[in-house]
Amino acid sequence: MPPKAARAQSATPVNAFHSLWKAYNDNTPDRLKFIDAFLLFLMLSGIVQFAYCILVTNFPYNAFLAGFSSNVGQFVLAASLRSQVNPDNRDEFKDVSPERAFADFALGSIVLHFFVYNYLG
Amino acid sequence: MFSLKTLLLLAVGLVNIVYAKSSTGNSDEAPAIIEYDEPAFVHVVVLASETKNFAKDLSPQAFVELLNLKTNLILALSTKQTPLTSLAPEFSLVLPPPGTPLVSYFPKRDEPASLIPITPTKQDATHILSKNLAPVWFSGVPQALGNNPLLVPILHAPAESFASEVDGGSADALADSAEKGGEGLWAGSQLSVVTGFQTVNNARVTWVGGVDLFSDELAQKEVSPGVKSGNAQFARDIAAWTFQENNVLRIDKIEHHRVNETEPRELYTNNDQLVYSAYISKFNPVKNTWEPYSGIKDLQLSFTMLDPHIRTALPPVSGHPGKYSTTFRAPDRHGVFKFVIDHKRQGWTFLQSSTTVPVVPPRHDEYPRFLSAAWPYYAGAISTSVAFFLFSALWLAGEVKEGTKKSGSKGKTE
Repeated sequence: MPPKAARAQSATPVNAFHSLWKAYNDNTPDRLKFIDAFLLFLMLSGIVQFAYCILVTNFPYNAFLAGFSSNVGQFVLAASLRSQVNPDNRDEFKDVSPERAFADFALGSIVLHFFVYNYLG
Repeated sequence: MFSLKTLLLLAVGLVNIVYAKSSTGNSDEAPAIIEYDEPAFVHVVVLASETKNFAKDLSPQAFVELLNLKTNLILALSTKQTPLTSLAPEFSLVLPPPGTPLVSYFPKRDEPASLIPITPTKQDATHILSKNLAPVWFSGVPQALGNNPLLVPILHAPAESFASEVDGGSADALADSAEKGGEGLWAGSQLSVVTGFQTVNNARVTWVGGVDLFSDELAQKEVSPGVKSGNAQFARDIAAWTFQENNVLRIDKIEHHRVNETEPRELYTNNDQLVYSAYISKFNPVKNTWEPYSGIKDLQLSFTMLDPHIRTALPPVSGHPGKYSTTFRAPDRHGVFKFVIDHKRQGWTFLQSSTTVPVVPPRHDEYPRFLSAAWPYYAGAISTSVAFFLFSALWLAGEVKEGTKKSGSKGKTE
């Protein structure tokens, strides 16, 4: 579409985001997009809990810590997984196959959830 | 002055009475009134109101010691200066100077002004004296009362009466000492002529302004034509009160437990609903028994740790004579608490009871585990787990798909 192309040529912030989004859509493998969706969900969930803690109540504090740290921990583990399975980083993680990376991620997550549920109630 | 026979008190049927005789025999060593810290008598009556030198064991200090040992006393005063006169101020009684008895010229009568018929009014100790008591002949010294809360004024002087020097005292002395204590100190109905005093350990002492009150002569004397005086009944009443027959209460037992339980706990927890009951009896002198008594309307219970954290009414329970019970919530505060009953009413036995119980915070497993305020956190944790499992499942499914795709493409290329 001509108007769109015209907008893409001008260097407005909107267009910068648009081109970023386009590049992301075009160049990112589906698996990484899937991880990104997961990361986005975790981030939103963490933001909601933090806002509830600040605005409503931090009582019981252990429940807040458990809920929030489960998000943070899961986010960190998922981000590690993402960097390890990213084909662009293959040189960095020569010894780590994607399967091994996922196994690490799964084991780490299970341990994390074990602690979270112990701390929650 | 009085032979024993003329004293009506004998008719009351007292167990042990010691008389310090005003005649000879003061120097007798025996019977000692306190031996080895044990009082020799349950009650002591000292009617020797004009004696200046008592036996060694009847010193004012000995009377105070007797009260400490829960012995009850009736002490008589007179217009003369005696050791008892100097003991009276220790009981917040302010006596007029020596030689100034109570006089009143009303009502008009043939008797001397210092012999006064006193009609008990509702200001007097109505719970100690009998109802419809006839006027009481009185002759003796009045007592102005200090503000000691342990005093129990039993019979007040008539409003028209005052202390005066009829038998050789000095008017100047009276005026001087009245000015020291305030003008008109010994006049009017705020004066008491028979005053009780109940010590904190419930021993009772009654100060009688004049010993004539107990004499047969005044007991038989008519106050108005055909009406005998109330002296006999009055003597019986004050003896019954002083000698712990009347207005004597005790706490039989106390109970405390949690609501819906019957046994006391070693520990109570914050915010427990507690039930406290006290069983109170009153002595019945006629049957010589203790009977359940539900007549106290203003009993209070305190739950204290230094300060009363809770002070609540302890009302009688209808249908359970003598039982007083209340339910309250333990404070949200842990520490060593006491159930305290401290009921002090003029003329009644002081009721005191204190039971120590610890109140502890809930144990770790006594808190509610899941709180509604925290459901966003629970939801966050659970959704993270669910999302993790979904993610893993889809990831693995995708890997399988990819694997088949890969192997398929491989197959194609080969």
